[in-house]
Amino acid sequence: MASVGMMTSGFSPAMATPGMSFQDMSAEVSTGTTIMATEFDGGVIIGADSRTTTGAYIANRVTDKLTKVTDYIYCCRSGSAADTQAIADIVKYHNDFHRMEMGEEPLVKTVAHMFKQLCYDYRDQLTAGIIVAGWDKRDGGQVYSIPISGMLQKMPFCTGGSGSTYIYGFVDSQFKPKMSKEESLQFVSKAVSLAINRDGSSGGIIRLAAISKDGVERFTLTGDQLPKFYEDS
Amino acid sequence: MSILAYNGAAIMAMKGKNCVAIAADRRFGIQAQTVSMDFDKIFEMGPNLYIGLPGLATDVQTVQNRLKFRLNLYELRENRRIKPKTFMSMVSNLLYERRFGPYFVEPVIAGLDPKTGEPYIASMDLIGCPMETNDFVVSGTCSEQMYGMCESLWEPDLEPDDLFETISQALMNAFDRDAVSGWGAVVYIIEKDKVTKKMLKTRQD
Repeated sequence: MASVGMMTSGFSPAMATPGMSFQDMSAEVSTGTTIMATEFDGGVIIGADSRTTTGAYIANRVTDKLTKVTDYIYCCRSGSAADTQAIADIVKYHNDFHRMEMGEEPLVKTVAHMFKQLCYDYRDQLTAGIIVAGWDKRDGGQVYSIPISGMLQKMPFCTGGSGSTYIYGFVDSQFKPKMSKEESLQFVSKAVSLAINRDGSSGGIIRLAAISKDGVERFTLTGDQLPKFYEDS
Repeated sequence: MSILAYNGAAIMAMKGKNCVAIAADRRFGIQAQTVSMDFDKIFEMGPNLYIGLPGLATDVQTVQNRLKFRLNLYELRENRRIKPKTFMSMVSNLLYERRFGPYFVEPVIAGLDPKTGEPYIASMDLIGCPMETNDFVVSGTCSEQMYGMCESLWEPDLEPDDLFETISQALMNAFDRDAVSGWGAVVYIIEKDKVTKKMLKTRQD
């Protein structure tokens, strides 16, 4: 199976393949990716790149990996595109039902638990790394990380996807609790930009969203708007 | 992942009016990780003769060294500069010598005949099968994308400035759809009396 948002587990140099290498239609469509979420004072900021690959071919360069689950809760998807889309749809469905029963918006941790339950119960059949982030009136902004095998962990900030490995040092050194909305947007966009620069499976534009009591505000950074760092030449 | 796609590369060459152009990306990566953005894949083999080597990075450097060695001996014995067509045969021979344990490179050659100045381009597969064309040649991990771009943008008898624009756009838009090539590009425009080397500002993703 081809790269799936995590580092590829080695390759075996088999026979030489003379001539062209075909687009790997047998390779899964993967959001080999960089995703991130962070709490700020009043809500959460989430961010992602926009690249979907089939093998090495870029199938979609303007993907939206920030998927709405409710008006105040989003999820960031990494891993198999099909798996994560299916899981998000099922959680949306469960949640619509839950909202009708309870008569009010769900808590972020409830939605996070719905994701976890699916990711854990079907862990052998799925490849999905998901970050659930949102705002509710009881606990404010929250970020929940659900990596590949279905563990659930609440964290102040979280990164995910194949590109996240390149920015652990950056986010660990630059994160501060209780940043303002602008500082957090800068933090996320710089981190995703650095990961895009190094990870072949991440690229395109940076999509951001700010979720707070006022709802969701979406941003897009294209071309020259991406934060720049050292490049010689 | 195939061995030819381990490091990733995108190289193409085009013929113009009394000139040729050869262009390549500058990424050196190991599977999905980009290690550096200043890796040379085009090498000067004579004042008006260039070879581009996409494929496994170690073989890119080894083939370039071994080829330069053979070319130097040729020029010492013959006491003249090599013709592009002869050089193509030299590369083909070097690769076929390793028929059953090949170098993982699929070269692209671009140059002008030393006497007449006639443009010449050629490419070959990893065991040395040559292909000479009159329009363009491409090689690398995004060869399908490059074929599409060249087929739509190329036209015959382009002047050097127009050829530069055409090859730059063709290469950039092709490797922008490939996850393992890009991160900068270099273009050489080779004319009878001068060679212009230009770096392209590209997306760094």
